[in-house]
Amino acid sequence: MFYSPVITNAAEVASSDRLHLFRYVEDPDQSKVEIFEAHGGYSAWKKALTGMSADEVREEVKKSGLRGRGGAGFPTGMKWGFIPKGSSKPRYLICNADESEPGTCKDRVLMERDPHAVIEGMAIAAYAIGCHQMFIYIRGEFNHCIDRINAAREEAYARGHLGKDIYGSGYDLDMVVHTGGGAYICGEETALLNSLEGKRGMSRIRPPFPAVEGLYACPTIVNNVETLATVPHIINRGADWYRSMGTEKSTGTKIFSLSGHVKRPGNYEVEMGFPLKKLIYDPAYGGGIRDNKKLKGVIPGGSSTPMLTPDMIDVDLDYESLADAGTMLGSGAVIVFHEETCIVWVALRLIRFYRHESCGKCTPCHEGTAWLEQIIRRIEQGLGQPGDIELIEEICGNILGRTVCPLGDAAVMPIQSAIKHWRDEWQYHIDNKKCLVKTNFEFQ
Amino acid sequence: MILTEASREQIREKVSQYPDRKSAILPALTIAYSQTGYLNDEIYREISQVIRVPHVEIAEAATFYTLFPKLPVGKYLIQVCHNISCALLGADSLLAYLEQKLGIKKGETTPDNLFTLVTVECLGSCATAPMMQINQDYYENLTGEKVDRILEELKAKA
Amino acid sequence: MTEAMAGTNKEEAVGKSQTLMVTLTIDGRQVTVSKGTTVLEAATQLGIHIPTFCWHPKLKPLGACRMCYVEIEKVPKLQVSCATEATDGMVVYTDSDRVKQGRRAIIEFILLNHPLDCPTCDKGGECELQNLTFEHGFDDSRFDFVKHRFTGESVTTTFDDIRIGPEIILNRNRCIHCYKCVRANKEAFGEYDLGAFERGNITEINATPGEQVDNPFSGNLVEICPVGALTNSDWRYKIRVWLTRTTPSVCNFSSSGSNLMFYKEDHKNRIYRVTSRRNDDIDDGWLADITRYGYQIANSPERLQTPLIKKEGNQVPASWDEAIAVIYKRFSEIREKKGGVCIGGLAAPNLDNASLYSFSKFLRKVFHSNNIDFRTDYAMLPGKPDSLFSKLCSRLFRISNIDDSDVIVSFGSDLVREHPNEYLHIRKARNFGSPKIFTLNPYSVKSADVADLELVYKPGTDEAVINGICLAAIEENLVEPQRTSRLSEKLVPSTLTETAALCGVSEDGLKIVARALAEGAKVTFLIGELVTQSQARETVAAAVANLNLLFSLENKGQLAVLARYANSVGAERLGLMPSPSEAVTKELASLWGEFPDHQPHTTDAMLALMKKEELHGFFVLGANPVMLCPDREFVKEGLEKLDFLVVCDLFETKTTALADVVLPLSSWAEYAGEYVNLEGRVQRAERAIKPIGQSKPGFEIMNTLAEKFGQKLFVSEDEMASEIERVLGVGPSVEMPREFLEVKASTQESNDAFPNPLFVVDDPHHSGHLTEKSTSLANFAGEAYVEISADMAASYGVVGGAPVRVESEVGKIIVPAKISEYLDTEVVLIPRNFSATTVTSLLMRKRRIDWVKISKVDE
Repeated sequence: MFYSPVITNAAEVASSDRLHLFRYVEDPDQSKVEIFEAHGGYSAWKKALTGMSADEVREEVKKSGLRGRGGAGFPTGMKWGFIPKGSSKPRYLICNADESEPGTCKDRVLMERDPHAVIEGMAIAAYAIGCHQMFIYIRGEFNHCIDRINAAREEAYARGHLGKDIYGSGYDLDMVVHTGGGAYICGEETALLNSLEGKRGMSRIRPPFPAVEGLYACPTIVNNVETLATVPHIINRGADWYRSMGTEKSTGTKIFSLSGHVKRPGNYEVEMGFPLKKLIYDPAYGGGIRDNKKLKGVIPGGSSTPMLTPDMIDVDLDYESLADAGTMLGSGAVIVFHEETCIVWVALRLIRFYRHESCGKCTPCHEGTAWLEQIIRRIEQGLGQPGDIELIEEICGNILGRTVCPLGDAAVMPIQSAIKHWRDEWQYHIDNKKCLVKTNFEFQ
Repeated sequence: MILTEASREQIREKVSQYPDRKSAILPALTIAYSQTGYLNDEIYREISQVIRVPHVEIAEAATFYTLFPKLPVGKYLIQVCHNISCALLGADSLLAYLEQKLGIKKGETTPDNLFTLVTVECLGSCATAPMMQINQDYYENLTGEKVDRILEELKAKA
Repeated sequence: MTEAMAGTNKEEAVGKSQTLMVTLTIDGRQVTVSKGTTVLEAATQLGIHIPTFCWHPKLKPLGACRMCYVEIEKVPKLQVSCATEATDGMVVYTDSDRVKQGRRAIIEFILLNHPLDCPTCDKGGECELQNLTFEHGFDDSRFDFVKHRFTGESVTTTFDDIRIGPEIILNRNRCIHCYKCVRANKEAFGEYDLGAFERGNITEINATPGEQVDNPFSGNLVEICPVGALTNSDWRYKIRVWLTRTTPSVCNFSSSGSNLMFYKEDHKNRIYRVTSRRNDDIDDGWLADITRYGYQIANSPERLQTPLIKKEGNQVPASWDEAIAVIYKRFSEIREKKGGVCIGGLAAPNLDNASLYSFSKFLRKVFHSNNIDFRTDYAMLPGKPDSLFSKLCSRLFRISNIDDSDVIVSFGSDLVREHPNEYLHIRKARNFGSPKIFTLNPYSVKSADVADLELVYKPGTDEAVINGICLAAIEENLVEPQRTSRLSEKLVPSTLTETAALCGVSEDGLKIVARALAEGAKVTFLIGELVTQSQARETVAAAVANLNLLFSLENKGQLAVLARYANSVGAERLGLMPSPSEAVTKELASLWGEFPDHQPHTTDAMLALMKKEELHGFFVLGANPVMLCPDREFVKEGLEKLDFLVVCDLFETKTTALADVVLPLSSWAEYAGEYVNLEGRVQRAERAIKPIGQSKPGFEIMNTLAEKFGQKLFVSEDEMASEIERVLGVGPSVEMPREFLEVKASTQESNDAFPNPLFVVDDPHHSGHLTEKSTSLANFAGEAYVEISADMAASYGVVGGAPVRVESEVGKIIVPAKISEYLDTEVVLIPRNFSATTVTSLLMRKRRIDWVKISKVDE
C-alpha cells in the first residue's frame, strides 16, 4: 500500500486526542491536498496568516516549549527570535530534511505520507520569521520523498496555499525543493547552508550564527521536518495543550525510530517522558528482543549518542532524563542490540561511518576518525596491540569538543561509551585476538 | 555535447528558482546524472557553461558528495546499506548473498554491465532493515526470496 | 544628576568614541583593542605569538587547523583564538597545560600521514610544520599504520610530485588541509584554477581538471603554503634557505612598488628567489608573478658583460675606458659642429631616481639640450607643460584608500595586466565590504569579474563615455541644477541619448554609474593605460575634469591616472621630459644655475627629427624604442640615420643592435636606488648582488661621462641625494579646473578594410621588454600571440595555437591565436613583450585607434 512498508503506531495515534503527528499516516490519500484539507489541513496556516501577527505566532510556539527534533533539542520559538530586528536583508527558512543519522527514519514517513503537513509547518514558520522564500533540503537518496514533496508543492500552489497574496493577506511565499548529493554532514546546519549555496558541504565557524548571517549571508532559520510538522498543531490547539503533554521541560510528543534487534522495528509517536523499557518491550511497540535473546545494549538517540547497558534502560525518553543518564535524546533513533553482538564490531561500524562522512575541514575530525577506524579495525580483526584501548581513549579526548561542528563529538561519544561500559570485552578482544561473542547475523 | 537540450532546460529552470545561480550546482548534477548515469569532467564543464559559474566549483561540489559516481556504472546500481541498524539485521550476509548471486565482489560490475554492487552508509530506512537502493528505488525488509525476485524483474526489464 | 542628564552624557560619550574598545587579559597582561578584534590579533599586539596553520592576516578566518587554541576562563572548551572575538573582561591563557596538550594533539594528527620528506623537501628550514612540531609536538610517533599516499594518474616523479602549472609542483601527501591556497586563489585573486576535491581525510587539493595553475598571482600560493605541498620550479632543489641571506627591495616591473625580499648568496653572487615583504599600505603581502619571478633577469646568462663598440660594422667587446673615449669624441664632434641641442636622450621609466636625475642633468648641462624623454610606448605625446593630462597623472593616490571606498570606477584599464596589485585591492574591498564597482573599457576585461556593472564602449570613444555619465547625472537630477546647465552647453553631443549611441553604451548603464558617483561617500576613480596611451588623451582629460567638477570627486575620494612603470612618477617629478612642469623647471634652474631654452622635442618628435637628419646624436638609457615605440619602420629609419647612437641596457636588444656603442647596465638588484611608486611614495631598494660582469648603474655611467666632459655632475653622493630630494619636494601641480571645459566627443572612425581595433598590451605575466629573459615568466608565456574572442575564432575557423595573419595598413605579422576568456567583440590584443615579434610594425603613430584585419594562415 505504501512505498515504505515501515510499521507505525498510526492506529494508536488516530484514536488519541493527544498524539497527533501520525494521525493520518496510514491513510493512503493523506498526501492529496483535498483529503489533507478535509482532515483540517492548512487551517492552522490560514489562522496564523490571517488572524495572528508574526510575533504572536512566535510567542505561541515559544510558550509551547517545542524543541528542535533533529537532534539538538534547541527551543524552537527562541531560535526564531534570534532573527535580528530591523535587518533589511531577506530572511530564509530552511526545512532540514537531510535525515542521515543512523537509526533515524522518521522524517521520511512524514514526507512520504503526509507531505502537506510539512509544507504547512514550513509556511507558518516562514511567516513567523518574515521569510518569503523557503527551502526544503531533502537528501538526494530519498527519491520518493522528493517526488511526494514536489507533487504536494504543486498542489499547494494550485490551491492558493503558496504563492502571491495568500488568502488575500498580502503575504507572498515561495517554496524551493532542493535535493542533496549524499553527505551526512549536510544535516549539520552550517554545512547545509554551504551545500545549499552550491559549495562543498563544509561547516562554518560560529559566530556568525545562521540566524544573523546564514544563507547568502542573510538571516536564516533551519528547522527539522518533525519540528515543523508539529507547528500547525500548536497553532490550532494552543501552546497550553502542547504543554499538557510530555514533561515540563520536554513538552509534547516525539517520533522514535526503533531499529535493530527488536521484534517490531518501526516509527512510534509517543509523549515525551515515555519509558524506554516500554518502547523496547511492550508488544504494542518494540515487542521485545528478537529471537528472545537477552538485551546487550541500546543506543537511545541515533548513532551519535552514548550507549546504555541493560541496567540503564529504566529511563524516560526525554531530554533531561537521558542527559542525566549520561547520554542524549538526539534524533530519537533507538537502536537495540542483543547479547550476540560484539561491541567492537558495533564500534567499527560506527567509526567507519563517521570517517566516511567527515568533511575534511578540521584536523582532529578528519585525521582522528581515520586513525580511530584503523585501530578499531585491527582490534576487530584480532590484531589489537596492548595499549590500544588507552590510545583510543586519548584520541577521543583530543577530538571531543575540539572541532568546528558536532560531527567530531558524534564520532567519539559512542566509542567512548562502548569502552566505558564494555571495557572487559575490548580487552578480551585484544588479549585473545577474537570476539567475545561471535557476531553473525543472517538475513532471512 | 553530452547534456541534452532537455537537461539544459531543466538546469536553467533550476537556476531561475534560486537567488544565487551557484545554488543550482547540486540540482544540476542530479539532473545530469539522471540523464547519463555517470559524471565526468566534460559534463562538469558543460554544467558550468549552462549555469555560468567557474568549472572548478562544479568539480569541487561533485567530488564531495557520494551520489555522483565518476566511473561508469552498470544499468542498475545496487547500493547496500551496511550501517549499524542494517548490519544488525544481516546486511553483511545480504551483501555476501548478492556477491554470490551476481558473481562479482563489492565495487565491481557484472560482465553484462547490468549490475554494479556497492555498499553505502545509512539510507534512512533503519526500521525496515536490511535494505538496498537500486537506482532511484528503495527495496526494504529484504529476504533471500525477495532479492531473487527483484533481480529477476530487473533483468527482465533490461 | 537626573536620569535625563545621565542619558545625554552617555550618548555624547558613545558618539565621541567612534570605535568601542574592549580590554582583556592575556597571560596576565592587559591589552585594549577595538571591538571586533579576535583574541589572536589581540595577543599579537602584546607580542604573544600563537601558532597557526590555516590563519592568514588577509583571508577570512577558517578555524580548520585548530592549532591556535587558547583557554578562556569560564569557557569549558578550548577555543580557537583566530575566530573568537575578544570581549571586555575576558581572561585568556595561551600557554596553559591544557592548551599545550591540545596543540600537541593537533601536531600529532597532522603528522599521522605526513611523509618524512624533510631531507629533500624544498620547504625545509622555513616550514611551519617543522617549526611548530619542534616547539609543540611529541618526540615520538604512535602511529604504526602505513601512511596514506595519493597515487593515480599523473604521478610521474619521485616523491609523488605532480606538476600542476608552468611553475608549480604539487605533493598531495604533504598537504595538511589548511586550505590557504584555495582560499587565497578564489577570495583574494579571483582565480579558479585550483580546487579541493573529495572529502574527509582524502581531500585533495589539485588543479582544476583540465586546467593549469597559471594565473598571474600563482606564485603566492607557493609562498603561503605552510608546508612543502606546493613548491615552485624557480626554487626547487636549488639551495637551502639557511644558506641564503635576504635583502629588502621593491618591485621594478610595476608602478605599485610592491615590497619584496631578495634571497641571495654572496659567493655565487646570485639571487635565488623573491618573496613578499608585507607592506599593508601597498601590497598586503601579495606579489604578482612578474614581481616574484622578474628578478631572474639579473642572473640571466645572456647579460651583457662588457661594453661593445661598433668597428667596421661589427659590435666587438671593448673596455669601459675605450667606450667612454669614443662617446666623448663623437658627442663632442656633434656638439661643436651642429650644436648640443642636436643630441637627445631617452631613459627607461623603471630606472632609479639617481640614474634618471643624472641623465637629465648630464644632457641639459653638458649639451644644453632639452630633447629628453622617458616615454616609449605612448603613441603620441603633446608634451605641453602643465597640461591637463599631466595634472591628472600627478594627482595623489593612496592604494589603501581603495579598500574602504564605497564606489570604485576603473576607466580605461585592463587592471590585471597593468596594475595587478590595485586589482587585488578592489577584490579586497568587495570581499570585506559592499562597494559599488564599475569598469569602463573599450573591451571586456578580467577585472570586471568583481564589478557590479561592466560598460564596454566602442574603442576610440573614451571621452564620450565620461560625457555620457555627466549627461546622465544632469538628466536624472543627481546634482544641483545650477551647476549642471553650463556643462551640457559645453559637451558635444549635448544629449545623453546621442552620446550613449555614439559610444555604444546603454543609457541605463550610464545612469547607474552616475547615480553611484553622486551618492558615493568615498570614491576611487582610476584611469589606466587604455586611455592614456591614446592620442586623444587631453580631450579625455578634459572630460574627466568635468566629471570631477560635477561630482566633486576630489573632495570625496581619489581620482588619478595610474602611473605605469616602477619609476614613472619619479621620472616625471624629476623632469625627465622635454618640458617639465613650470615649478620643476624653476627648481632645476635654481639648482643648476641654468636651464636650456630651446624648442624641446618628445620621443616621437625626436625620432621625426632623426629621420629629417636634424638630430644627430642619441643616448638611450635602459629603453628599447625599436621594440616598444609604435611604427617600427619609422623608429628604425630614424635611429639608423643618426651620426652616433649610444645604448645602455641589460641585454642585447633590437635597439642595441643599431648602436655605435653599447654599455652594459646593471639591474635594479645590483645597486641601491630609490623609486617613486604611483602614490608618490619614495621607497628604497637595497643592493642584493654585485653588478654582473662590468655593468654599471645608470648614475655611475652618467657621472663618469660628465667627468670626461670636464663637468662633474655632483660633488658627492650626498649632494646628488639632496638635489633629488629638493626636486621631488617641489611636488606636482594638481590643481584641477574650476570651470567646465568644452569636450567634443569623436565618433569612432571605422575602417572597412581593417575591421578590428588592435590594442597592444602587456601579457599578464610580463612587463616591458626585459621580462622575457626571466625563465619562469617565459614558462608562462614565451611568445607573442593575438588574443581574439571565441566567436571570432569560430568565424575564422581558427583554433587556439593556430597561426593567424594580422595585417594593418603598414605592416603584417604572423602569430598564434589565443582564444580569449573575456573578449567578446571585434577587438584583438597582442602583447608587446616578446622581441621575436615585431608587433609595433603594425602601428601607425598618428591614429587614435590602430586597425588590423585577421586572416587564417592556410597550411
